[in-house]
Amino acid sequence: MTLIFQNIRKQYGSNVAIDDVSTEFVPGLIHGIIGPNGAGKSTLINMTAGSYAVSSGAIVLDGRQMQSLKKYEIANSGIARTYQNIRLFDQMTALENLEVCYYPTEVGATWREVLWPPFGRSQRERRREACMEILRFFNLQGYASAEAGSLPYGRQRMLEIARALVMNPRVLLLDEPAAGLNHHETAELTAKLAELRSPDRIMIIVEHDMDLVMTLCDRIVVMHHGKLLFQGTPAEVQANPDVQLAYLGTANDIDEIRAAAQDRRAKLGIRARQRS
Amino acid sequence: MSAVDTPAAAEPRTRRIIPLLVFALAVALLVATPFLPNYHIRVINGLLIYILLGIGLNIVIGYAGLLDLGFVAFYAVGAYTYALLASPQFDLHLPFLLILLIAAFLGMLTGILLGIPVLKLRGDYLAIVTLGFGEIIRIVMNNVDWLTGGPQGIARLDKASVFGIEFARPVEIYFLLLVIVFTVAVLVWRMERSILGKAWAAIREDQDAARGIGINTTNAKLAAFATSASIGSIAGVIFAASQRFVSPESFTLQESVLIVLMIVVGGIGNILGIVAGATILILLPEVLREFAEWRILFLGLLMIVLIIIRPAGIVPRSFGPDKLIRGLFGK
Ligand SMILES: Nc1ncnc2c1ncn2[C@@H]1O[C@H](COP(=O)(O)OP(=O)(O)OP(=O)(O)O)[C@@H](O)[C@H]1O
Ligand SMILES: [Mg+2]
Repeated sequence: MTLIFQNIRKQYGSNVAIDDVSTEFVPGLIHGIIGPNGAGKSTLINMTAGSYAVSSGAIVLDGRQMQSLKKYEIANSGIARTYQNIRLFDQMTALENLEVCYYPTEVGATWREVLWPPFGRSQRERRREACMEILRFFNLQGYASAEAGSLPYGRQRMLEIARALVMNPRVLLLDEPAAGLNHHETAELTAKLAELRSPDRIMIIVEHDMDLVMTLCDRIVVMHHGKLLFQGTPAEVQANPDVQLAYLGTANDIDEIRAAAQDRRAKLGIRARQRS
Repeated sequence: MSAVDTPAAAEPRTRRIIPLLVFALAVALLVATPFLPNYHIRVINGLLIYILLGIGLNIVIGYAGLLDLGFVAFYAVGAYTYALLASPQFDLHLPFLLILLIAAFLGMLTGILLGIPVLKLRGDYLAIVTLGFGEIIRIVMNNVDWLTGGPQGIARLDKASVFGIEFARPVEIYFLLLVIVFTVAVLVWRMERSILGKAWAAIREDQDAARGIGINTTNAKLAAFATSASIGSIAGVIFAASQRFVSPESFTLQESVLIVLMIVVGGIGNILGIVAGATILILLPEVLREFAEWRILFLGLLMIVLIIIRPAGIVPRSFGPDKLIRGLFGK
C-alpha cells in the first residue's frame, strides 16, 4: 500500500498553488510536509482528502485513482484528515463526534433500529465502547458527554485527531495538529502521534513546529511556492542548503532547531529514528 | 493534567419544578380535552395537527439545518390524497389506513422530488426555492379543476374509519390524533438519536466535514426531506378526514411560515420545543380572540420578546425528551 502523487497540479484561477508535484508516501512511516506560509501544504492535504479537485495529475492509493472520487467516497476508502482550522461538530458531544463516523457502515440499519429498539443494540454498545477507548487514549474520556465546541482549544485539537482515528484510516492526514497548542500540549501530542505509527497506516503531518516535525517524522517533503523543493530524512532536510535558504533561514537557526529537537526527543524518550 | 469531568451540574430544585409543572399541566389538558365542548376539542385537534407538522418540518430545519419554507406542499399532498381517494369526486372510497400509507409514500416521493433539485442549495437560496415549490403546489391545486375541484375544493369526504371504528366526531378525531402524534413523536425522536440522526446533526454543523468522515450527504439529506415530507403528508390526511373538506385556502405560504415560527419560537431541533411553540402560537390566539385586532399586535410583541430572552427557543435543544424523562422519574 502506497499513496502516490503523480504530477499533481492545482490552480486557483491564475494562481498556481501546486506545480507538478510527484512523490510517494509509505505505511509505517510518519511523513512530514513543511514549507513557508502559502507553500501549498494545505492544498496537498485538501486534494488528497477530496476537499479540492486536482487541476491535473493523479493521486493513487493502493493502485486506485482517487482524484475523481467524491469526498465521502475518499473518506470511505480509508483517508481521514484533520483541518488547519478545527472543524468539529460543535453542538454534538465529544462522544457523538466519534460515533457519527460509523454512519457509512451502520446507516442501513436505521429503520430497523428505529422501529425495533433492541435491534443492533449490542453493536451500538460495541461502537460506543470503541469510541470511548479512543477518547481514553487521548485523555478525553471526561469530556465524552460535553459539547465538542465547549472543550478547551487544545482538547478540541485532540478530539479532531480522535475523530479521524475512529475511521481506522489507512491514510491519516494531519494539517497543523500543533497549531495553537502550548508547550505542554505539544509534547503530549507528539507522544500520542508517535504511538499512532503503525505498519498499516500512512501518516502525513503538515506542521510549522520544527521540533515536532524533526522529532516525529521519518521522511520530510519540503514545499516552496507550490513546488516540491526537496525530500529526505530530517537530517538531510536540515543539511540541505536550498531548504535552509528557502525556509529555515540561516545556518545558526538550523543548529538551534536541531539542538531543540534532540532535547525534546530525549525528554520524551521517543526513539523515532530507530523505529523506522 | 488529566481531563476534567464536566457533567451538567446538579440542577437546582426550582429548575426541575418548572418542567414538572408544565408537564403536569399538559397531561391535565390532554385528560380534560374529551370533556370539553366540541368547539374546544376542535381547537386542540388543530393544535395536535400543528404539532405533527412541526415534528415533521423540524427534521429538515432542526436536525439537518436546511431551511424549508414550502412545507405546506406536503401537507396539501396528504390532504388531497385523502380527498381524492375517499370522496364522491371519483367515487373512490378507500379505507383510511390504506390512504394513510399511500399518502405517506406520496409525501416521501414529493419530498425526494423537491429534495433532488435543491440539494446543492443552502440557507436563503434553499428557503426561496422551497417557498416557490409550496406556492406551485397550491397553484396547481387551484387550477387543475377536473382533479382538485379548483378553488371550490373537494367536499363531502368520507368519515375516517379504522377496523370498523368511526373517527368523525371531534372527540374521536382527538383520540386518533393522540395516537398518531405520540407514535410519530416517539419514532422521530428515535430517529434523531439513530446514526442517521447523528449524521443530520453533523451535516447541520459542518457539511464539508461530514463528507470528510464518509457521510454521503446527498442521501442523508434526501432521507431528511423524505421523512419530513411523509409526516407532513400524514398530517394532511388527518386534517382532511377531520374537516371532511379540502380547498387550496388551507395551504398558503402563511401556514408554512407559521410552522417555521413554531419551531423557532419553541426550540429548534427539539420535539418538546415544537410542542411548546405550537401550543403558544395556536392556543394563544384562541384565548385572545376577544381582543380582536389587538391580538396580532400582542402576538407579534410576544414573538419579539421570546426571541430576545430565549434565542434558542422556549425549550432549547439541550433539554430533549430524555432530559424530561430523567427529570420526571428522577433517574
Ligand atoms: N480556496 C482557495 N482559493 C484560492 N486560493 C487559495 C485557496 N486555498 C489556498 N489558496 C492559495 O494557494 C496557495 C497555497 O495555499 P495553502 O493554504 O495550501 O498554503 P499552506 O502551505 O498550507 O500555508 P499555511 O502554512 O499558511 O497554512 C496560497 O497562495 C493560497 O493563497
Ligand atoms: Mg495550510
